[in-house]
Amino acid sequence: MNFWETITGSDITREWKAFDVRAAVLPADHRAAWEEIKGHVSLYSDFTGRNLTPILDGALGLLEETSSDGQSVHEVLGDDIAGFCAALAGGEGARSYRDRWREQLNRNVAKKLGRLGG
Amino acid sequence: MDNLTEMLKGTLEGCVLEIIANEETYGYAITRQLNELGFADVVEGTVYAILLRLEKNGLVQVTKRPSGLGPPRKFYALNDAGREELSTFWEKWEYITARISKLKGGGR
Repeated sequence: MNFWETITGSDITREWKAFDVRAAVLPADHRAAWEEIKGHVSLYSDFTGRNLTPILDGALGLLEETSSDGQSVHEVLGDDIAGFCAALAGGEGARSYRDRWREQLNRNVAKKLGRLGG
Repeated sequence: MDNLTEMLKGTLEGCVLEIIANEETYGYAITRQLNELGFADVVEGTVYAILLRLEKNGLVQVTKRPSGLGPPRKFYALNDAGREELSTFWEKWEYITARISKLKGGGR
């Protein structure tokens, strides 16, 4: 990734566009699941969303594989797409922006308390 | 039996390790095997998430093989770290089941 891509995030836009091209040829129910997965997974985004690319790539790969096996989305993902996304994001070690804020807040409070105490 | 998901959560990873230990296999086949065993609620997505975690923790060796139609499949085999993890899993399993059975039998 070059400097321009780092600053603008243009590499991400390009990769996400490539995902949508791949998703476009999936059967309707797999495509619907893909849209839902994108929505859920975005909760685990870091500031740029770059951490999501490998997760989405894997999830899309799973949809591609299973649709060519002739499996329905329900057979593949069950009822709990949110849980599936959480497991994926957790499995990839992706941390959400909320974790970061929480950490920052804890750190700041600890610092403040330390200052008051000492 | 339905609604085992919550109880299975911590043990499913060990089950998947055990299945892979028997032979090199892939996600769909692992899911089918768990279903046939009676874990009807387990879907391929669940197994996929576990496989990702195993791969990330360096417990499996992954090989991509072309499949009849569609994209290539990822096959999983255990490496040494995976075999060690599996035996730890069974030790923990023995520990827990022994104690829970004892509890059920009156607790002393």
